[in-house]
Amino acid sequence: MRNRILILFAFVSVLCYGQNRPLLYNVDDLPQALLQNPGTRIDFTKHIGVPFFSQIHLFAGSTGVTAHDIFSDENSNVNQRVQNVMDRITSGDYFSVNEQLEVLSFGWKMGSRGYFSAGVYQELDIFAYFPKDPALLAFEGNAEYIGKSFSFSDANFTGEVLTVYHAGYNYKVDPKLSVGGRVKLYSGIFNAESTQNDGFFSTVETPGGPNFYRHELDDLDVLVNTSGYASLKEQDNMTVDQAVAELLSRSFFGQNVGLGIDLGFNYRVTEQFAVNASIQDLGLMFHKNDTENYHYFGSYSTNGLEPLFPELDGNERTIPYWEVFEEQLDANLKEETTYNEYNTWRPLKFNASFEFGTGKSILPCDYLISKKPRFMNLFGMLVSGVNRSKGPTYGVTAYWDRKVTDNLRFRLAYGVDDFSLTKLGLMVSSRFKNFNIYLAANDIIGYTNLAKANSASLQFGMQFIFKDL
Amino acid sequence: MFPLKPRIISFFMIGLSLMLTSCFKDVDFEQAQDIKLAPDLQVDLLFYELTENDFLDSETNTYSPVIRDTVRLEFLDDEYIQDGLMYAEFRFRHENSFPNKIKSKIRFLDNNGREQFNVNYDIPGGSVASPSIVDTVHTMAGSEIVRVRRSIQMVVELEMLGGGKDIEGGLDFSSKGLFKFEF
Repeated sequence: MRNRILILFAFVSVLCYGQNRPLLYNVDDLPQALLQNPGTRIDFTKHIGVPFFSQIHLFAGSTGVTAHDIFSDENSNVNQRVQNVMDRITSGDYFSVNEQLEVLSFGWKMGSRGYFSAGVYQELDIFAYFPKDPALLAFEGNAEYIGKSFSFSDANFTGEVLTVYHAGYNYKVDPKLSVGGRVKLYSGIFNAESTQNDGFFSTVETPGGPNFYRHELDDLDVLVNTSGYASLKEQDNMTVDQAVAELLSRSFFGQNVGLGIDLGFNYRVTEQFAVNASIQDLGLMFHKNDTENYHYFGSYSTNGLEPLFPELDGNERTIPYWEVFEEQLDANLKEETTYNEYNTWRPLKFNASFEFGTGKSILPCDYLISKKPRFMNLFGMLVSGVNRSKGPTYGVTAYWDRKVTDNLRFRLAYGVDDFSLTKLGLMVSSRFKNFNIYLAANDIIGYTNLAKANSASLQFGMQFIFKDL
Repeated sequence: MFPLKPRIISFFMIGLSLMLTSCFKDVDFEQAQDIKLAPDLQVDLLFYELTENDFLDSETNTYSPVIRDTVRLEFLDDEYIQDGLMYAEFRFRHENSFPNKIKSKIRFLDNNGREQFNVNYDIPGGSVASPSIVDTVHTMAGSEIVRVRRSIQMVVELEMLGGGKDIEGGLDFSSKGLFKFEF
């Protein structure tokens, strides 16, 4: 049995590289843990965030390349380094930027077992796979790749800005089990996505054919959906500042809406050992207003132009071969701009962890206190991931969570994901009276030189948290 | 003094020091200006497959030893050619199964019909069983590349030497360009 668990753990550790945000997960005295898992165990009775400052979350990452890979100052041959990166990077590598700003956050205990929490946050999420084949074609051309099919499915990206209104309820079923759910109303500010592209471009040799090569564009089908973009585009001479101001003006009531839920639970298997899991953002965005879709589709192949040597009088013009070629192109490769509604799934996040506690805290000797003692040391392992258009990204994190005092807590974490095999994280949370402030930084080694880091993330916040002893 | 303030300040200091120590080292972003896109494109140009009928007048059936045609290559006028073309290598291949020698003239003209460069050669006579093949590569680089940038028309002209109404055979032509860019 033990061997099976070890094998399973090794399997999971090898497979589950990916993006993760583990430093606030299971932190039972931070309300942000409820955003990660609405069914988590919590250790407070009321909270209210400092508006706009209860959580500032920033994350940026790239799996295939760092700034140092391109812009190293060791020698001046930047184009050779670009070439090296192009050779190494694959269409499975990706770039990701995620930002969350909590505008409002509050909650309170309801009855003896429930906790209600609600709030508003604004989120920006950009996720783009590296468009290997189109980039290869643009950087290097087709000369060295005769016979290769350049796939347009490599062009795959999503980007969205939205405001999220949410309300959740955490319920302690019994001393062992707590469950929770959160309902989310999404208010879309901007969206652009292109995830179902298809088609190939190739140049093939044609020995015995009419010319040296045949250039083929097969089954091209590229679709880019946007919402919240057309109205910006229509306003001529709009500066970047004006566009940003326009987007911000949509912050609270965007033009498109969506619905989603978070679900989670925590189960104490024994007094010391607990398991828990959650899903976040199981939801859809309905893009109905201010939409614009760009569709490129068709097939065409050519061996070049064929002069027909017509018999012409001196003043007669020859056949307009190029115009004919362009007409054929236009007839076979089409470009359409439409204004259709479309729906997008929100990137589903999932978390699962187990946690083991040691070192019981000592509570004041008071028969009025019904609270159970907590463990001062918590050791946990978390598997987390985000569902993306080419499949989920994973991360595995092991952590040691130490409550130094009732008012000071830190967490040290080691994680492995697509970005890094040495992801060290640190979270510090401190409370004075009812005021809490926390800071969490993941991939600390990367912070020593961001140029060599594949990713970096930071969470910072302050709020009022009330606990009843 | 209210001790909350130093605590917030200490957190800000930690955050600030994280930001300050987390600078970009050992990199030179000025190199971004030196990054070049340098695609090499292989592009088919013209092709034809001529028979004896192409050298005969369609109405009178009289022998026409000289035939020509002009094809506009509008892509040569595109911005990316004008801005980034650094090297062009043309390849022309004739396969002649006429028994007669044929003079081939390939000329590149600008929009006003002024010749920018040409590639002329003779194609020896051959036979259906053993066609004669002429495979020519013509390179334009350095200062000559402006002649390609100015070009927009490709004129192909063929003159069959000897021959007459009863000629038999065929002439196949294929051509391509290797265009090297730097942007």
